Amino acid sequence: MRSIDDLELNAFIDGELSTGQQAELLEAMRADPELARQACELRQLKAQLRLAYASPPQPKRRAAARTKASWPAIAAGVALIAFGLVGGWLLRGNLPESGGGTDRFVVLDPEKRGQAPAVSSANETRIVFHLTTPDQDVAGELLDEVESMLAAYRADGRPLRVEVVSQSEGLSLLRESLSRHKERIHQLASEYTNLTFVACRNTMNRLKVEHGIEVKLIPDAEVIDSGVTHVVKRQREGWSYIRV
Amino acid sequence: MMNRILTVVLAGLVGLLALSGVATAAGEGAKQKVVYHINGDDPKQQAGALRNVQNHINAVGKENLDLRIVMHGNGVSMVLLPEALGNVKGFKHANADQQMQARIDGLKNQGVSFKVCANTLKGRNVSRDGDLYMVEEADIVPSGVAELAILQGQGFSYIKP
Repeated sequence: MRSIDDLELNAFIDGELSTGQQAELLEAMRADPELARQACELRQLKAQLRLAYASPPQPKRRAAARTKASWPAIAAGVALIAFGLVGGWLLRGNLPESGGGTDRFVVLDPEKRGQAPAVSSANETRIVFHLTTPDQDVAGELLDEVESMLAAYRADGRPLRVEVVSQSEGLSLLRESLSRHKERIHQLASEYTNLTFVACRNTMNRLKVEHGIEVKLIPDAEVIDSGVTHVVKRQREGWSYIRV
Repeated sequence: MMNRILTVVLAGLVGLLALSGVATAAGEGAKQKVVYHINGDDPKQQAGALRNVQNHINAVGKENLDLRIVMHGNGVSMVLLPEALGNVKGFKHANADQQMQARIDGLKNQGVSFKVCANTLKGRNVSRDGDLYMVEEADIVPSGVAELAILQGQGFSYIKP
């Protein structure tokens, strides 16, 4: 098997490879868990960057960029704006009455992804904690913090949802054989139905392929396919994200 | 005739664009809002994180940026004075030596604010005015974790260096 270099891996993550090249790389990843792990990390980095820089301010190049605009393009732009104004005016009576103004998009976005604020319409605060460290002292501190938040929100009657996503080396928190906090997790999960512990199946598969370990999770853990994909999805849904 | 109408419309449009450009540049809405999360106590990593922040400012410009650093748990070691390590509990490191202080001052001068978690101070027996480097009452937040969630709810991007 030929070796895959960083450039190629990056191109794969960026979706710049042809279908044939992609298939080849996927095949190589199946055979090489280390390569698969690298791809996973790259994708994670990229997702974080994309979220962090979702809307960077525009650099100040306005003047230079504008002088290059051609007259036909400007005229077309003006025509479009005029068309939009006139069209909007003519159609103004046909729009359904809606209080919030987002109801119209229900058909396009039934689950309202991408427009739900971190504090949702029911005024619910939603936080996803992303645990990737094997350090169970850190995991213990996380549980302390989560518990004090859950208690404070309950005492004030404020709705809160918390998810702890354990991935990579962080999975040890939810492994029957390794977790030092099993009882604590069970007690918390029983006390608070708005708290969920989630394990990454990719990590479990990798442990099996690379080390022959058949992971047994504690009973309170739920399983999702990919921890990274899950935390990205949660952020799109408007959850706050905290990396532990 | 058509040309003249077009010119008038265009002039109006350019005027509008210029106005809106000025308005957004001057308004708060134009600022990029970012929160950096620090909860580890490795001094090298903390110095690296502050370098990340400086690079971020260099890239975006301090006038375009509302940047906050939230510390809790072990992360508070970044502003913990070395001589205070004996008074507090639960800390292995106190990283606010002269070098770190200089880095913090440099960033504060560029508008960065440093927020410290009250839960951590209480739980670890830390005195704000005795044990920490230049942390004002206004820099204390009730809970570091809750602050991170609240800021994200207000549109802040979250970065964990």
